[in-house]
Amino acid sequence: MSPALDEAWFSALGAPLGEAERLEVAAYLEGLGLEPALPVHMAGSWSEAAELCRQSADAWWQAEEAERVRLEPRARLDPSDQDWLRLTERLHGAAAIAAAHAGCSDAALIRVAAGAATYAAYQQRLAQAAGAPPAHPFLRKYALYCGGRWPLGIYDQRFAIF
Amino acid sequence: MSAYPTVKTIDEFKQQPVEYQNAVRKIVRSHALNELYGAQVFDEPAIQLAPTPYAKWLSCRVAMEEYHHHVRFKELADQIGVQAGEMDTRNKRPLNIFEMPLESWEQFCVIKMLGDLAEILQVEDLLHCSFVPLRNIARTTMPEEKFHAQFGLDFCVDLVETDAGREKVQRAVNGFYPEAPKFFGASGSKNNELYRKYGIKLRSNEDMRADYMARAKSTVEPLGITLPGVSFDA
Repeated sequence: MSPALDEAWFSALGAPLGEAERLEVAAYLEGLGLEPALPVHMAGSWSEAAELCRQSADAWWQAEEAERVRLEPRARLDPSDQDWLRLTERLHGAAAIAAAHAGCSDAALIRVAAGAATYAAYQQRLAQAAGAPPAHPFLRKYALYCGGRWPLGIYDQRFAIF
Repeated sequence: MSAYPTVKTIDEFKQQPVEYQNAVRKIVRSHALNELYGAQVFDEPAIQLAPTPYAKWLSCRVAMEEYHHHVRFKELADQIGVQAGEMDTRNKRPLNIFEMPLESWEQFCVIKMLGDLAEILQVEDLLHCSFVPLRNIARTTMPEEKFHAQFGLDFCVDLVETDAGREKVQRAVNGFYPEAPKFFGASGSKNNELYRKYGIKLRSNEDMRADYMARAKSTVEPLGITLPGVSFDA
């Protein structure tokens, strides 16, 4: 079984952010060429997470996309790969369970969370396949997901995380 | 309900007339290919066109669901003897519907709203298929197909709140819809006759196409959107 299937996906949503996680966020931002000292905003609920990510976050998204585009010529992954599909189903299941525990039954929002983790997992595999160092920002963001978080992006000059 | 006896397993499938086997292979191959084309040319590129992280991540999840549908149909195709090369998008020419370049978020929302509605009808027709493994895949994929069409509709509802948005949605409908009824095949199709003879499908192409056009109309009308005319023998 892939170790990724056993991670604590979405298990720490809304919990206070630890110092190690704050350092991970700062290093992630710095790795993307963004301001590492940006204030961190903790989303407190699924509805707040939804409200935040319904806003545009172009500068942050484009910073990530520039790195994805740089890495992709070196490693193209097969989206129909069986292990990969198994992981994406696991992510969807974990998002659904976490949402249910918080009283959220919004099927679209659960898919949004699963899609976010899927995209992060894709970026992590891309970075690894391209031989990126352990401090690569995609690996740092992925570590936050593995620790049960949902990094939401930069909105109003704050890095939001659930 | 089919008068043809149900075919429950791959072993039983292999004992059916060659004509039955070929008919099933054709349908399974078609679904495997269409799901893959859809994911490759529409769903995956839509992630970049979506306006917010919410829409991008939702598109990402939808793309994965479409890839998963492809894999389910392909696994069955492998079991019933469809050659791998026949399910490779590099070897098979796609339906016209998949040759339209995806250029805007509005276009993608319309494709989900109206394109996945067409897929729903196709999958609905397999829910009582005489070949049980195919019936089971139809039953598994149906809730996700319904979600995808609803996803398209929900975003279109948001888009038409402004005049500019409605204009863009109307333009996308005008570009996409005229090709969509062709998704149901020709009238008087010999293949379709075989599918019905063997209880693989229930409805004629003409019947499904007319149903689709009626459902498409009732979907877009509340949005203040009109369907363009189609030059097809519907």
